[in-house]
Amino acid sequence: MAFKTFWIMGYRDLVRNRRRTILTLVAITLGLTLSIFMSGLIGGVMESSLRDSIRLTTGHIQLRAESYEEIKVSLLRRDLLDEPDALAVQAEMLPEVQVASPILWASGVLGTIRESTAIRINGIDPASSLHDPLRESLAAGEFLTNDGRREIMIGQLLAREMDLEVGDRVFLAVGNPDGAPEEGVFTIVGLVNSGFPGLDNTNVFLNLSQAQNITHVGNRASTVRILLHQLDDTAAATSALEIPGVAVLGWQELHEVLLTALETGQIFYDFLYAIIFLVVAVIIANTLLMSVFERTREMGILAALGMKGRQIMTMFLLEAAILGLIGSVFGAILGSILVYYFSITGIYIGEGSASAVEGMAIGTSMFTALNPADILSLSLWMMIVILLVSLYPAWYAARMEPVEALHAL
Amino acid sequence: MSIIKVENATKIYHIGESETRALNGVSLQVDAGEFTALVGPSGSGKTTLLQLMGCLDKPTSGMVMVNGNNVSQFNANQRAEIRQEKIGFIFQFFALVPVLSAYENVELPLLLNNLSLSYRKERVAYLLESVGLTNRMNHRPDQMSGGEQQRVAIARALASEPIVVLADEPTANLDTANGQQAMDIMQKLNQETGTAFVFATHDPRVMAYANRLIKMRDGRILDNGNGAG
Repeated sequence: MAFKTFWIMGYRDLVRNRRRTILTLVAITLGLTLSIFMSGLIGGVMESSLRDSIRLTTGHIQLRAESYEEIKVSLLRRDLLDEPDALAVQAEMLPEVQVASPILWASGVLGTIRESTAIRINGIDPASSLHDPLRESLAAGEFLTNDGRREIMIGQLLAREMDLEVGDRVFLAVGNPDGAPEEGVFTIVGLVNSGFPGLDNTNVFLNLSQAQNITHVGNRASTVRILLHQLDDTAAATSALEIPGVAVLGWQELHEVLLTALETGQIFYDFLYAIIFLVVAVIIANTLLMSVFERTREMGILAALGMKGRQIMTMFLLEAAILGLIGSVFGAILGSILVYYFSITGIYIGEGSASAVEGMAIGTSMFTALNPADILSLSLWMMIVILLVSLYPAWYAARMEPVEALHAL
Repeated sequence: MSIIKVENATKIYHIGESETRALNGVSLQVDAGEFTALVGPSGSGKTTLLQLMGCLDKPTSGMVMVNGNNVSQFNANQRAEIRQEKIGFIFQFFALVPVLSAYENVELPLLLNNLSLSYRKERVAYLLESVGLTNRMNHRPDQMSGGEQQRVAIARALASEPIVVLADEPTANLDTANGQQAMDIMQKLNQETGTAFVFATHDPRVMAYANRLIKMRDGRILDNGNGAG
């Protein structure tokens, strides 16, 4: 039988029950829109979190002494890189590398006459373009200079908590490698507002040489942080940087927590998608079953005319396919528009919800990411689910005995 | 020449624990070109007998032969095929597909037989003209009167050139004029095409059209119209 007739019958039946068809289409459209939006939001948050974490906190690759443990923030000689500047120069010779610069980390206490708080000291080379993202985050004052003055830059949140502003003097206390306390007085030259509270309320930034002086570590550094031109170049650059006694860590290792969270989260998100799809599936099954019950007489007529069970089944599946196709197209368009819109404007979540926990930075706004492959895949899944759940009503219609169906006359 | 042969057919329906014997050892033969009325009161088994002859159902016991095939042994698909190729149906309630136009309803059996577009066009046009509905071909059932719908049903029943058209109370839902018009058309097409018609009725005016009357009561044939009841 001509396929066209099945389409015509399916389409006209949908038009005949306009209200039910519209409600079902709304369910499919909203279900798919929600799924696409969720996917875009999750993808966007993860992508921007990873991108910003790399940009602001880790770089793509880090060189460290093999014995260095980040959590201990050790200043012991064996845990630091001896010639960090030479390593940075060596790294910058690779074509994949955009910039490399040494950093010294230390734990310390920031204090005023009124109060003190534990912080993390970041000794950085202010001239390096590696710190451009930090420079762009400057909310007040100026960026660190290279002239050796006792300058310090602190997070804006930290400044707010300690009632500090640009120009105020603070003292910084830190333990040197021998365990003896060292102190210095610094002037706040700038306030940083990166949008990531975890970074802005516990970190202070000094000129690298200042940090090396106060901690008595000579010209050593905790790491050489490297930024690549392309994320995809990580493997090539990592293997080209094999240096004896130096650990080369790619962004995957540096963001182990984030990647594990992503992997675990994906199971949860898949579960959510499944729930949405299941709700839509039940609505579709209900619509088609209603249609079968209402058209029992018609099934009997068609069977009397010689239509076989599989043809009746095909007719119902086509009806479901029409519903699924139209709903999926609308859902995909609406979902894409929403994802695109929020990828530009973002969704403000406030400082309370933002964070920059180890390896995972979430700013004060969440941005969605438009991924055509995900949209296509979700739309296809929606179609598959719709066709699968339609099998039962279609089979129910197909197995009806002509005589019983005609008795519905 | 016999086109349908029913031998000692019995049909028993089970509803819960009760048993209804709709047909009780019925034997019958329908020849090509006949215009036969199946008459009897309600519950006499007319519809059940039509359903067995039309391969819509199988007898509980006995045999039904259609065009030389023992359809009692056929599975659902085989029965669908023989209905598609050899049998036309007309029902009391017109039974058109509501979402299709008159043209499309008549075309449906031809589509099921995978016939070419040009043949379908020609055949549908001829049939709709035969029943006087050329000007209503694009109307859907809900845009037509009962009489018009039944004429579309007659055209559809004849579309695939069946050997027999089985009609169950074809005039029961029509007024006198429309009922008469439907019977006139059926009689004309029977004479023109040679297709046999078997119609169940208890309307004496409809019986008057038949050239053979088969009388039924309580699931049995009282008189098969050949004088061999």
